[in-house]
Amino acid sequence: MFQFLFKYPSPVFTKGRFVLLGSWPAWLLVVFILAAMGGLAFLIRHRLRDAAPKMKSWRAWVIWGLQSALVALILFLLWEPAMIVSELSSQQNIIAVVVDDSRSMSIADSDGKTREAAALAALEGGLLAGLRKRFQTRVYKLGSSLTPIKDGAPSQPIAPVEPATHISDGLKQLAAETSDLPVGAVLLLSDGGENTAAADNSGISLDALQALRNRRLPVHTIGFGAEALAHDVEIEDVSVAPHATANARVATTITLMQHGYAGQKATLIVRDGDKTLAAREVELEPNGRLQTEELFFPVGAAGAKRLTFSVEPLAGEENLANNAVTRPILVSDAKRRILYVEGEPRWEYKFIRRAEDDDPTVQVVSMLRTSENKIYRQGISDPAELSEGFPVRPKDLFGYSGIIIGSVAADYFTPLQQELLREYVDRRGGGILFLGGREALSDGGWAASSLNDLLPTFLPQGTHNFHRNPATVELTSAGVDSPITRLLDDKEKNADRWRKLTYLADYEDAGSPKPGATVLAEMHAGHRSLPLLVTQSYGRGRTAIMATGGTWRWQMSEALGDPSHDLFWQQLLRWLVAESPGPVTATTPQRLLMDEGHVQLAAQVRDHQFQPAADAHVAAHIVGPAGIDALVEMTPSEETPGLYHAEWTAEKPGAYLAEITAESADATPQSLGSDVLTFQREDGVAENFHTEQNRHLLDQLSAETGGRYWKPSELANLPRDISYSEAGISVRNTKELWDLPIVFLLLLALPITEWLLRRKWGVV
Amino acid sequence: MKLSQVALLVAAAGGCCVGLWALQRTADFGFGNDDSPTNVKAEFYWSRLAYSSNMEGAGYGGGWGHRGWYSSWSRDYPKADRQFLIAMHRLTRIDGRPYEQVVTLDSDEIFNYPWIYAVQVQNWSFTDAEAKRLREYLLKGGFLMVDDFHGTDDWQDFMNGMRQVLPDRPVEDLQSGDEIFHTLYDIDDKMQIPGEQYVWTGRTYEKDGYQPKWRAIRDDKGRIIVAICHNMHLGDAWEWADDPNYPETFASMAFRVGLDYIIYGMTH
Repeated sequence: MFQFLFKYPSPVFTKGRFVLLGSWPAWLLVVFILAAMGGLAFLIRHRLRDAAPKMKSWRAWVIWGLQSALVALILFLLWEPAMIVSELSSQQNIIAVVVDDSRSMSIADSDGKTREAAALAALEGGLLAGLRKRFQTRVYKLGSSLTPIKDGAPSQPIAPVEPATHISDGLKQLAAETSDLPVGAVLLLSDGGENTAAADNSGISLDALQALRNRRLPVHTIGFGAEALAHDVEIEDVSVAPHATANARVATTITLMQHGYAGQKATLIVRDGDKTLAAREVELEPNGRLQTEELFFPVGAAGAKRLTFSVEPLAGEENLANNAVTRPILVSDAKRRILYVEGEPRWEYKFIRRAEDDDPTVQVVSMLRTSENKIYRQGISDPAELSEGFPVRPKDLFGYSGIIIGSVAADYFTPLQQELLREYVDRRGGGILFLGGREALSDGGWAASSLNDLLPTFLPQGTHNFHRNPATVELTSAGVDSPITRLLDDKEKNADRWRKLTYLADYEDAGSPKPGATVLAEMHAGHRSLPLLVTQSYGRGRTAIMATGGTWRWQMSEALGDPSHDLFWQQLLRWLVAESPGPVTATTPQRLLMDEGHVQLAAQVRDHQFQPAADAHVAAHIVGPAGIDALVEMTPSEETPGLYHAEWTAEKPGAYLAEITAESADATPQSLGSDVLTFQREDGVAENFHTEQNRHLLDQLSAETGGRYWKPSELANLPRDISYSEAGISVRNTKELWDLPIVFLLLLALPITEWLLRRKWGVV
Repeated sequence: MKLSQVALLVAAAGGCCVGLWALQRTADFGFGNDDSPTNVKAEFYWSRLAYSSNMEGAGYGGGWGHRGWYSSWSRDYPKADRQFLIAMHRLTRIDGRPYEQVVTLDSDEIFNYPWIYAVQVQNWSFTDAEAKRLREYLLKGGFLMVDDFHGTDDWQDFMNGMRQVLPDRPVEDLQSGDEIFHTLYDIDDKMQIPGEQYVWTGRTYEKDGYQPKWRAIRDDKGRIIVAICHNMHLGDAWEWADDPNYPETFASMAFRVGLDYIIYGMTH
């Protein structure tokens, strides 16, 4: 129909450029049209006084509009309108036909046929023949890479067995390999499944788009497969920390989407091998909506683990392979040592120590001032530790992963020690927790100390801010979401549990939180509401205030066996030390390698003073599946002192563990430390996910490159329309518009409409 | 009753409830809330356990009242307590109230005092509820020091009560190297600390308690939760420390032991 009215196919108008071929300037056309419209308006208005009464209304202006349109159209034609469009020269160009042969193309959801069969049927049912009448063709198959098919007959060598689809990489490869060939367009037959990591799971990589744009190559896409599965639940993403401490309760966020089961119940499960770690029933949200659920699970004993996060299959699901994903997680039982400095014997000290007795991953080393000149030490590793009091050398202090400062006045620390504390947080990246107390915070003179800016609050003035009066506690909204204050998994129940906790034995006014600080819990003492637990980041580390010395009542006055006190302190102290880096910190940008094995390792190495160790000897010992055992030397970065890099390829799918060790480069090498990380290569797994046709990606790819998305049922005009391209060898054709059938129809329709209206109104 | 009267009654009752709720939310309702000189708020309260006396076990010096002021729990009370607190104040950084606190097992108030001291414990007896409360107190982290009971019979009577509280936990003899003797002072050589009767008899023992027994009961993690001073009388040593006839050696040792026990109870 379009071509009947407009003479040319739609690409002429969408891809071409409109011009006026007449020698008179375009602005004159506008002037003429406006003059004609003004003249007609004047004429009609002038004659209106003698016209029939019926015409003295809006009817006159309808007539004026029709006459003006007719005059404007005639004037427009006098200026000789036309479209200039580039067309591929016949038989001089190549059309690259790319057929997706990944495993997802084997899904039989195209009128009873597999997607692959439907694609091949489309090609061999006339599409390829139609293209070959006008162009040369080259046929490629696309899986994890692009492979040309020699004889150009696609049916034989193409089978949907490739474990992955890398559309971005394939198109980039095509653009590069055909740079000296007159490729006029690319025709991609695919379901749009894209597994390239760099594609951000949703689109074509910018590199690939740039390569296609540089060649002006339009990509025409033909989509196969249903755009939404009728009955399916899919795990879209799982977010879980790559490290955890032994026996910790770890939070994970599972994102899922479903079609066909809205409102039904499904069970989310976390497994370690065959052992179920946690399970929770959730109600499924409406079709096609991303649903995020939080789940907590006990991570168990130390070791490198592959955990499976799944949703139990529902009746009638079309794809069960997308119900589970695995994630590597490294569970460590390494003890993190915390130095607890307490200025006076008090119950809080005792009960914090008792809480940490039950935490296998944290060891509290404490120094308690029992009398003016005596210090009682607990948890020390050798008799010399802390025998001289609080450390004065970085080497001695920076070995601790966290510090607790109890009821200790600021002037107990020398200026050197105060500076050391600042360095400890700022440079070493450690955490300091300040407790409330008789000689703590403002009552201990910290407001006037040089360490005031370490604190997460503006301390109040004066020294009578510590009170041995009760205070009840309540979580803030930030506290409700924080893992530090999570006593119960359910957020509402957890907030309620905090409200019902027995009162604190004492409290201290810690002032107001500084910008950037987070108040996790508040106290209510009489009519006052005061911050109880405040955290903030400082430099590379973190500081916090717990403005009381009276949480011990949570242990003594709650029921026997109530875990609230111990759990809270274990979580708070784990937070305090969790991000404190060791002397060697190993990282990799990608722990999950999908269908490829290239992995980058990096390690930040520091010496005993926690200064970057630029001349260390750093190596990664990698152990993987099927006996893979490799030693990779890491090379120092030229830009960042103390940073070391290595690249390696994991040849086989499975879980890998890399231990990075650093030694000083002296004549007698000394160990600087080590760190461990895990990564995992998965082949063919991504292909099981997002198995519905990714129409968005195909649309985006064609729109960004100047092509078009086609449905398999609309391919008749494709060989003709594909020829409007600026790539390859093309010529610019001028398509005149004066003889469009639509123009003649309008020339007739406008006066006839006026005549019919006049007849109807009786004013002929 | 008219409907309006009923409504008025309901409104009044509701008002009372709201008022009570508001009071509970805002009032200064904690323990130690009395600001009188004998009840200054402090971190540490010397808490003497006022237990119910076993009349049959009542012996020398007490037991003629169920829990009267001169019952066996109150031996040396309050002078021993106050003299000890003076020493504690001088020799440690503990913020302790200078006056003693009497605690009972009648209510959960005892959980506000994680360190308690009991004497003449051969006379104690517990109801099931009291025994349960004391067991929970100890297992949650409370610390109990017992003193001033002597000889075989007293031990049996003491253990009768103790078995009500902690039926299965063994009692062990403490060694000199145990941490409890090294928290503030290193007490390697200990002696039997006699009561005031030493001044006029010259004997360091009472009944058949010839040897001092430094004993303890521990929790699952090996922490001492009950410190037992059997065949000795530290309370008298504190009480008569200012008596020129009572030997300074015994008094000093008693103070050192008491302070070590308190520091231990506040750190373990």
